[in-house]
Amino acid sequence: MLAASLFLFALTLGLKDNPLVPIGPGYYPRLVLGVTAVLALAVFAVDLFAPKHVEPRTEKLNYPLVLGMFAVFGLYCGALPYLGFRLSTLLYVAATNALLDVPKSLKGWLRVAAVALVTTALVYFVFERYLTVLLPRGRWTDF
Amino acid sequence: MFELLATALVDAFQVKYLVPLFIGTLVGVVGGALPGITITMTVIVVLPFTFGLEPLQGLIAMIGVYVGGETGGLITSCLLGIPGKPSAVATTFDGFPMARKGEPGRALWLGIWASVLGGLLGAIVLVSATGPLAALALRFGPWEYFALFILALSMVAGLVESSLLKGLLSGALGCVVTILGNDPVMGQPRLTLGIPWLEGGVPFLPVLIGVFAFAQIMGEVERMGRRNAVERLQQGVDLVVSHLKVLWEIVSRPMLLLWSTIIGLLIGVLPAIGGSAANMLAYDQAKKFSRHPEKFGSGIPEGIIASEASNNANVAGSLVTIMAFGIPGDAVTAVMLGALTIHGIQPGPLFISQNAPLAYGMFAAYILAHPLVLILLALGVRWVLRIVIVPKSILFPVVLVLCVVGAYALGNSMATVYVLFVSGILGYLMVKFGFPLAPFILGVILGDQIEINLIRSIMTDPDLSLFVTRPISGLLLGASVLSIAVALWQHRRMQRRSDTAQAAESADF
Repeated sequence: MLAASLFLFALTLGLKDNPLVPIGPGYYPRLVLGVTAVLALAVFAVDLFAPKHVEPRTEKLNYPLVLGMFAVFGLYCGALPYLGFRLSTLLYVAATNALLDVPKSLKGWLRVAAVALVTTALVYFVFERYLTVLLPRGRWTDF
Repeated sequence: MFELLATALVDAFQVKYLVPLFIGTLVGVVGGALPGITITMTVIVVLPFTFGLEPLQGLIAMIGVYVGGETGGLITSCLLGIPGKPSAVATTFDGFPMARKGEPGRALWLGIWASVLGGLLGAIVLVSATGPLAALALRFGPWEYFALFILALSMVAGLVESSLLKGLLSGALGCVVTILGNDPVMGQPRLTLGIPWLEGGVPFLPVLIGVFAFAQIMGEVERMGRRNAVERLQQGVDLVVSHLKVLWEIVSRPMLLLWSTIIGLLIGVLPAIGGSAANMLAYDQAKKFSRHPEKFGSGIPEGIIASEASNNANVAGSLVTIMAFGIPGDAVTAVMLGALTIHGIQPGPLFISQNAPLAYGMFAAYILAHPLVLILLALGVRWVLRIVIVPKSILFPVVLVLCVVGAYALGNSMATVYVLFVSGILGYLMVKFGFPLAPFILGVILGDQIEINLIRSIMTDPDLSLFVTRPISGLLLGASVLSIAVALWQHRRMQRRSDTAQAAESADF
């Protein structure tokens, strides 16, 4: 955060003032970024010098699953403009559902397929047909 | 005022308003009852459905979600011992023990009636205080607005439970989001980093949706497969109860009901604190003022009444802040603010005078949502209990798809979806590193307004001392400094107490 705010602060120095406005477009950003940099430095210093309280960890957290969820969502966002809403949502819901509750039998896979199909169809019909919200079309699929 | 309210109440009975109110309240009750799904997430899910509706219809649906969610959360708190939402945590303390003692119906209906009565008492303040507060805000110049927004940010940063420094940094980071893109006065491009769509700035709604939805969902995903709470669902619980008896139990404790409602309202008026603080504080106050504090936690009605009356009154407080000042009282009203701006309506001091039918329609929806909750729960509390066992593996992808639809529909552009994704990662990381989300969101919402009012004030008079010498502005800035000082003192005191407790523990050992 400190590095990012200093980088952006440096960029604001290149902004030209406008004669019509007493303070230029860089005045407020410099103020905000300056405060952010100072606070980030203070948080860093406190974390570095404050006595550490080691709390006993009682619960093991499933970070690989979180990472998997982000990865699948990232792929979904990437696929939307190419495959379109219907196909990419179908694949996304199926993948996420399977990731969160791994199917162990044919029945499980059928559940995954059914959930993906029903969700995609419902969302599509409600938004496109009834609420006239246009959903993304795919460059590759053309629908 | 009352004429306008009466007209709005009559209008609200039209099918076009009753249907969104009914659906919103129902969705809110279910969302509130679902453990792990907060009201914020429920209102985020409902948001894209409101795009195709009239502004008032959409707002009515959201108010239904808000009121329904606050009440729905108590169902699982009382019957399963799992708070459906953070603002029902204190309800669990006495609601669940009462249910376990063989009185689930009494526990449930004490909570529902207390919610409804607390909410309706809150409505009196909502209707009567919003107008005068907005009129007061109309006398504000840019100096006062600047100071008010700074006060809101500093209060939120100071009132969060984690580190004060992290709270302040989180708020500053929110303001950083608003400086990307063209400057708001002359439209000169700045800090666009060569990304063309960033010239228009970062829209706050996808940021808000991403930050909250991902932080909450991923927080649940982390623990998936390691908690198995819904299995504790009790089958065949007897929920039959004498409503007159339950009502008498509440109204025979008028001071408890009134004080809890006042706490809820005050917490609601303070920006971005939310119902969970109201719920806990009201419970704590009820215990402190009780003649038998030792009985709290064993299943006594006072605990349920205090916590539930406060969290519904908290909704009214949040609505006062957004309607009078344009500052969201919490994350739910922040989404409502987004919904209003999508329809080109700016909440703030002029909101009531310029959009009277809309404002009074919101009041009417808030009032009507309470009896509606009562009817819905009287008819279908058992169905709600069945719905809460929907697996999260189905629920989470559906919620995330609706988040994508909501973000995409804002500008029919993939850019907003990418903003949603990046915000989601940011929100999750912030939570993991102990940064509170509320100040960040408030920074994102108020950052532009802070800049505009700062520039306006300097353009009017370059004398910076006016921020301090103008009475209201000076008072508000003084209050900001005071709120940070108090927060600092409280954090120090808590730290000292925790150090003393740790030292005592190690000495005992």
